[in-house]
Amino acid sequence: MKRLSSIYFGILGVIALAFGIADLLVTIGGSGLSFGILEIPCDAFRGGWGGLIILSAGLFYLAGIKNISEIHQISKVMMGSILIWIIAGLDIFAMITESIPGGDRSWFNTLEGFLETYAPPYAPAIFLLPFSLVVFYYILKKERNILKKEKDEE
Amino acid sequence: MKILLMGHPNVGKSVLFNRLTGANVIESNYPGTTIDYTKGYMRVGGEEVEVIDVPGTFSLDPKDKAEEVAVKMLHESRDATVICVIDASKIERGLYLVLEIIEEGYPVAIALNMWDVAEDKNIKIDVVNLERILGVPVVSTTAISGEGIKELVSRSRGTAQVEVDDIFERVED
Amino acid sequence: MTKLGVDERWDLIDKISKKTVTFGEYKHTLKDAIGELTVKPLTGIPIAIAVLYGFWSFFSSFAGFFTDGFFVKLFDEHWLLWLQEIFPGKESWLYYIFVGDPSATNCFEAFGVLTSGFFVAIGVVLPAIVAFYLILTLLEDSGYLPRLAVLIDTILHRIGLHGYAIVPTILSLGCNVPAVAATRILETRKERFIMMTILAIFIPCGAQLGIMKEVIPDTMGFVIFYLFMGYLIFGFILNKIIPGKTPEMLIDVPPYQMPTAQNVGRKLWMRTSSFFKVALPFVLLGCVIVNVLYLTGFIAWMGDILSPLFIGWFGVPSETAGPLIAAFLRKDLAVAQLSAIEMTKYQMISAVVLVSIYFPCVATFAMMLREGWKELLGSIAVLAVVVTLYGGLLHLIWILLGVA
Repeated sequence: MKRLSSIYFGILGVIALAFGIADLLVTIGGSGLSFGILEIPCDAFRGGWGGLIILSAGLFYLAGIKNISEIHQISKVMMGSILIWIIAGLDIFAMITESIPGGDRSWFNTLEGFLETYAPPYAPAIFLLPFSLVVFYYILKKERNILKKEKDEE
Repeated sequence: MKILLMGHPNVGKSVLFNRLTGANVIESNYPGTTIDYTKGYMRVGGEEVEVIDVPGTFSLDPKDKAEEVAVKMLHESRDATVICVIDASKIERGLYLVLEIIEEGYPVAIALNMWDVAEDKNIKIDVVNLERILGVPVVSTTAISGEGIKELVSRSRGTAQVEVDDIFERVED
Repeated sequence: MTKLGVDERWDLIDKISKKTVTFGEYKHTLKDAIGELTVKPLTGIPIAIAVLYGFWSFFSSFAGFFTDGFFVKLFDEHWLLWLQEIFPGKESWLYYIFVGDPSATNCFEAFGVLTSGFFVAIGVVLPAIVAFYLILTLLEDSGYLPRLAVLIDTILHRIGLHGYAIVPTILSLGCNVPAVAATRILETRKERFIMMTILAIFIPCGAQLGIMKEVIPDTMGFVIFYLFMGYLIFGFILNKIIPGKTPEMLIDVPPYQMPTAQNVGRKLWMRTSSFFKVALPFVLLGCVIVNVLYLTGFIAWMGDILSPLFIGWFGVPSETAGPLIAAFLRKDLAVAQLSAIEMTKYQMISAVVLVSIYFPCVATFAMMLREGWKELLGSIAVLAVVVTLYGGLLHLIWILLGVA
């Protein structure tokens, strides 16, 4: 369990780190990149600051995987996930706020236009989002273990 | 009757005040939100009681403008009952202010607020014994969720002045 | 009544707590561990960047949704056209004051009380303020804000303030009025004066941020950066030249809490409504006064007199006199008005910076007066120096870059 989680978050950390670096390079390079369903944005805010934050998320994961069951280490992994949630959550929020108004034509968007906003390609953080949620499973499981241990001691 | 809510900054006085009076005071999870006093009213057993939310202060020696307001409020309300709101997880620092107010001759009731935080930190307080030693009502409360507020109100009506010398005697028992 | 000395009191407390309190074994919880991460510089700074990123991203999506998505359409295509149609007497001064320029095609340019006034207050500022206070309330109630204060303490110390100064500064991004009141948590007069002065001068309020996002979306980052640098530079200078102490303050960091929806909702409502009670009358009144000043030729006259200063020293068109007068009433209004003046991108940046650092709005002014007239006079003196030097510096930068 412990070993598996270390490997899992280690891989996630390396990927986040790579995404963050890619974000920054693309932003410095000056033109956006798109591979299939993945799109790396090129603007100072989402690509620059956003990339820096994804990069930090990767570092948090990597800093937390050694001796992962210790509370201070888990908190680093948790923080890595929180950073990804901030970026991805606000990317999704931006999509939602863009999808509803109708632009120049009408008050509200057409159904087609509404759905189109949510079609890929997506920014890197959105791909990391589902994998980062695993931290919840890990923490819940650990808490259950602690409760069980306390009961056994009594 | 007049009640002053006093205590350290950020122990939840404003939350308690809003709970008591149904008023709307900005409350925040950081010290120094209340910088002026606010008045509100509540009804206890048919009687109208004036409640004043006093800015947080660590002691009766004011260190900043907000604390000056607090101490001035206290000295201007000679006839008031003081509800001392103290952080249950840092009880010793709170008791310092309580003793200062008791020494000035005000009837005091104590709200041991943030009871949930103290429990999280595994701090246990013997409320019955504390009440016996101090000779004033002590109620554990969690203002955010409203626990203990009713008891606090009804108990604070029956409080009276106590002598510090008596506290000295009782603590030795 | 017996009175105790300080030591006697602590002795008594010691005895009492020995009899009544037991400290169990304290286990570090996940909350504590995360709390530590947020205050240590190495881990805390990336987290702070992420929080600010989230703050800004939410602010622009939320405000953009309402303003660009709906209000611009509502005001430009319906409200303005309707008013231009039904309001009698296109030549009359009444029409000029209430509807504004009859040939205007959008509510920024019209500049009537009912057109620009309402558009700025409701269409632009309201969404910005709601978005701002929503995030602020969440940060406050969760307990992140004091941790940010601890983190920033080291930086702020250099400008003569302790970390707690971040609280008035952040409040100031919503509205300068409660921020000036919040400086009372600072301990010495020196600190209060420095804080009050530099936040009134350099920190743009939520209304201003909202309107800047509409008028100068591309160059806004630079404007904010320039203002923030000014905040640090002049804070540092004031700290050096004003006598007095800036004592250490121990900050009590409250535990992290889950904000409750009820609390957040109520605070959001209170803050937004109290903001509007102050803002709406001033926006409308500001429109009336500025329009009257235009009609009477006062602004053109002022512009002529001040044009050497404006053109020669600050490098902005002399028409900027109008917005600067409006800026005393409402800064958001002034920025909106700037958008109707023809100028280059760089002149626009200079003009927006000038509007921001020049006089605080009248509500802030009144609040500062309440803190003491000596402080107010001092602040005004600092302000005069800052506007001249820091505003002129920007012109110098443009000249050196060859764009002015």
